[in-house]
Amino acid sequence: MAEKIKLFVNGQEVEVESGKNLIDALGAVGIEIPHLCYHPALGADGNCRLCLVGIEDGRPPVVPACKTRAAEGMKVLLDVDNIKRIQRNVMELELINHPIDCPICDQAGECKLQDFYMKYDGQKSRMSVKPVLKAKKMDFGCGVVHDQERCVLCARCVRFTRLITKTGELGIVNRTDAARVNTFPGRPLNNRYALNVVDLCPVGAMTSSDFRFKQRAWFLTKSPGICHGCSKGCNIYIDHNREKYRDDVIYRFRPRLNAQVNGYFMCDAGRMTYKLENDNRLAAARVGEKSVELAEAVEAVRRAVSQAKKIVMVVSPNCSLEQMHAVQALAGQCNAAVSGYSDGYVQQGDGDDFLIQDDKAANRASFAILGIDSGKAGFDQAIAGADLLISFQNDLTRSLENDTLFEKTQFVLIGSYENDCAARAAISLPVASYSEDTGMVVNCDGILQEYRAAVGKISPAPSLIEVVHQLGGPFSTRDEVLADLTANVAALGGVDLKHIPAAGTALTANEVSNVAA
Amino acid sequence: MQVQVLSARFDIPDAHRIEVAKEHGAYATLEKVFSMQPEEVIETVKASGLRGRGGAGFPTGLKWSFLPKGLDKPVYLAVNSDESEPATFKDRYILVRDPHLLIEGIIICCYAIKSHAAYIYIRGEYTTQVKALQAAIDEAYAAGYLGESVGGRDFKLDVTVHRGAGAYVCGEETALLESIEGRKGQPRSKPPFPAVEGLYGCPTIINNVQSIASLPFILTNGPDAYKAYGTEKSPGTHLFGISGLVKKPGMYELPLGLPILEVIDKVAGGLRDGRTLKGIIPGGSSTPVLTPEEAQDVTLDYESMAAHKTMFGSGGIVVLDDTVDMVKLVENLISFYHHESCGQCTPCREGLGWMLKIVKKILRGEGTTADIDLLTELCDNIEGKTVCVLSAACTMSTRSYLNKFRHEFEAYVHSGAPVQAAM
Repeated sequence: MAEKIKLFVNGQEVEVESGKNLIDALGAVGIEIPHLCYHPALGADGNCRLCLVGIEDGRPPVVPACKTRAAEGMKVLLDVDNIKRIQRNVMELELINHPIDCPICDQAGECKLQDFYMKYDGQKSRMSVKPVLKAKKMDFGCGVVHDQERCVLCARCVRFTRLITKTGELGIVNRTDAARVNTFPGRPLNNRYALNVVDLCPVGAMTSSDFRFKQRAWFLTKSPGICHGCSKGCNIYIDHNREKYRDDVIYRFRPRLNAQVNGYFMCDAGRMTYKLENDNRLAAARVGEKSVELAEAVEAVRRAVSQAKKIVMVVSPNCSLEQMHAVQALAGQCNAAVSGYSDGYVQQGDGDDFLIQDDKAANRASFAILGIDSGKAGFDQAIAGADLLISFQNDLTRSLENDTLFEKTQFVLIGSYENDCAARAAISLPVASYSEDTGMVVNCDGILQEYRAAVGKISPAPSLIEVVHQLGGPFSTRDEVLADLTANVAALGGVDLKHIPAAGTALTANEVSNVAA
Repeated sequence: MQVQVLSARFDIPDAHRIEVAKEHGAYATLEKVFSMQPEEVIETVKASGLRGRGGAGFPTGLKWSFLPKGLDKPVYLAVNSDESEPATFKDRYILVRDPHLLIEGIIICCYAIKSHAAYIYIRGEYTTQVKALQAAIDEAYAAGYLGESVGGRDFKLDVTVHRGAGAYVCGEETALLESIEGRKGQPRSKPPFPAVEGLYGCPTIINNVQSIASLPFILTNGPDAYKAYGTEKSPGTHLFGISGLVKKPGMYELPLGLPILEVIDKVAGGLRDGRTLKGIIPGGSSTPVLTPEEAQDVTLDYESMAAHKTMFGSGGIVVLDDTVDMVKLVENLISFYHHESCGQCTPCREGLGWMLKIVKKILRGEGTTADIDLLTELCDNIEGKTVCVLSAACTMSTRSYLNKFRHEFEAYVHSGAPVQAAM
C-alpha cells in the first residue's frame, strides 16, 4: 500500500496516495480533473491544457495537473472561477475546428469531448468563420481508420506506437492548426496491437473498420470477460447488444485494465476472437446427419458410453477449471481415460515479450493443477484400442496430423463451434461458450481469474457442466464442482474459489510446487 | 549617441578573418580569463550587470549560477542564434562581421560554466551567417582556440554549428534543445528547467549571441567599464535594429537608457517629411506597441519599458507613422505567430488561427463589434494557458493594438474601410 498524504482541494482536506500526479491521485478518490492527452500508460504530455489547476500560493499559480505530483499540504484549486473559465475556454478551442458530427461518429456516447462539453463548457458556438478542413476516413492500416478533423492532437496514439509497440508508425506532421496525425507514406500501421489506438483515442478520430457504424455505444452492454485468444488471459469488456427481433450479439472486445495481467491493452488478434462467439456456432444437437433434441442426443451418448469397451475423453485447454474437473469426475465414473491433448493449440514462436503467447488456449495451466496429461504419448496410448472418443470443446483436428482416428473410433463432440471437428462427430451436442458461461481460467503466469456469463442468447445452450451431469457426471451444478475442487485439489487448497478477486489471484509458489508433486 | 563596444570591429575590412580580428584585439583577453578561477569569471559577469539579450533580460551571470553543483554529467552551452522575431536583425551583424567576437565569448562562457561542448543553433535559412560563422570556427580550430587544448591551456572545447529547419519557435530555448536533439522543435514543459535538465538530459545554459558577444569586453575591461554604459539596472550597450518608416533604418549600437524618441530622431534620421508618428514597436513584433504620447518619456532600458507595460525585447524598434493601417498590421502580426505556432498545445494551435480569421473577417468589412470583443477575449483565453510563451508573444502585442487603436478596428466594422485615407 502506497504512503498516504493529505492535501486540500477547494479547501477540503483529502487523503490521497503519494507518488502520483494530481489527475491520478485525486481521480482515485473521485475528484475528476478533465484531461485528454494524459493517459496513465503513456505518461504526461501536457499538450491539451485541459487539466490546468490552480495551486494556492504556488509558483506558477496555474499548472497542468498531469505534470504535477500530489504533495503534502498542497492547496489545489479546482472549483474556482478562473479554473472553470480555463476549462471552458480550452473546450471552446478544442471544438472550434471539430466537425461536431456526433450523429455519425462511432465515439458518440463514449466521447470525452461530448462529456467534457456537457460538464465543463456548455456554451453556444461563437465560431463565425470557416473551420480548418482536414482529411477524413484515412486508412491507417491494421483496421484503423483515422479522421483528422475529429482529432484533438493529444498524441496518445503517437505515443502508443513510440512507447508501447516501439514501432513508431504514427507522427504529427505540420505545425499550427495544420498539424495532423499521419503515417509515413507507404508505411501504414503494422503492429499486432494497433487497434489499441482506437481505445486510446479520447475522441472519434481513431475508429476500427471492423466496428465502424455497427452500433451506437449507448446500446452496448459492457460486460467484463476474459479473452480466450491465448494463455495470457487479457481482461476484456465484451460489448454486446440484443436488438429487437435479434439474438444477443457481440460487437467488439475491448481491453479492461488489469495491472497484473494485461495492463490497459490487448492484441488485435485476441480482440477479433469475438467473431468466433457470434458466427458458426453449433446450433443444435446432432446424431449422425440428423438434428435432434438435446435429450435425444444425450441419450445416444449415454448408450454409446454404456456399450463402449474403452473410452477416451479429451478436454480442451480452453475449458474452465470447473469444466475440466467435472469431466474428470464423469470419466472416473465410466472408467474413461482423460487427456488434454491439444498440441495444435500451440503456435511455436508466435508469442512476443508483451502480451501475445505461443499457446492459443486460455487455461492449459489448469491441466497441471488437475493432473490431466496433455502429452501426445499419453493420448496415443489411451486411444489405442479405444472405441469411443468424446471431446469436450477440444478441436482435435488442430492437433492430429491425419484423421484416420475418426474413422476407427466413434467420435462424440460436446462443444460450441461448428467446425471440422464437429463435422466429423457421430454425435454432437452444443454447449454454452465462455462468453455465455461462468468459469475460471489460469493464465500463463499462474494467475487464476474468474469470468461470468456475459451474453444471454434467446435460446441459450446448456452449460458444459450441466451436459456432463446429464451424461452421468456426479456434479449437478458449478457450485458442487467448486466445493469438490476446494476439498480435493491440493493445488487449490489455499484459494477461496467462491470469492476470486476482480483482478484475479496469483497461485502461490507453494501451490505450484504442489502441482509438480 | 552611438558607441562601439560590441561593434568595435564591425567596420574594419575583413574583420571576420582571424588574423585581422586578432590584430584588433580578438582572443587577447583569454590569457587573463584562464588566469582566473571559473567562479571568478561568473562573479565578474554578475558584477557587470549583463542581462540576457535574447529578449527576456534575465541576468546572465545569475543564470549561470543556477547550474547544479557537483553533478557528474557534462554541461552544455547552447548559443541561441535563431533570431526569428520580426524586426530583429542584430545578431546577424555579429555573425557576419565579427564572428570571432562570438567565439571568444563562447570560450569565456564555457570556461566559466565548465562546459566542453557548445552548440550554436542557427536558422537554416541564414546561409550567409552560417558560412561566415563556420569559416571562423574552422579558423579558430586551426589557430588552436578551439579543440583539445584551447589557447594551449588544459581546456578542451568543441563548438558545433547546428542549422535548424527554420522555425520561430526554435528560438524558445527548450524547442531549440529538442531541435538540436533531432526532434520536432516543440517547447518542453518547465520545470525541469534547462539549467538542471537540458540538452540530452544534461545541465545546459542557453544564451543569446549578443549576450555571449558582450563577454570579451567585460572580461577585458572589467565590469565597471561595462557599467559605465547604460543605466544602473540596465547597464551596458545594445545593438538596436531600427526599422519601419524612418529615414535611416539600420543597426546601431547604443548604450541603454536613451530616450526612444531622441534615438529615432537623431540616430535613425526621424520620420519621413510630412509624416506624424502613430506608434512605436519597442523591441520586436511581440512587444506591445507604444503610442506617441506614451513614448514621450520612454527610455531604451528594461525598467522604463516595463513601467510603460511593454517590454524591452530584442532591441528591434519599428517606427509606425500615420500611413500605417493598424488592423492590417495586426493581421500581419497574427498570421506570423499563427504560422509559427508549433501546434503542440490546444490554445495556441487552435486559438491563433481563429484570431487570424476574425481579423481577416473584420478587414473584409464583415466584422461586428462583437468580433472585436471576441478578439480581445481570445487574447485573455489563450495567454498564459500554453506550454511556452509563443502565444503570449502574439496576444500581448495584439491586445495592445486592440486597446490603443480600437477605433481603427471599429472603422472597418462600421464602414468597411480603414480609419484614414492617408495611405
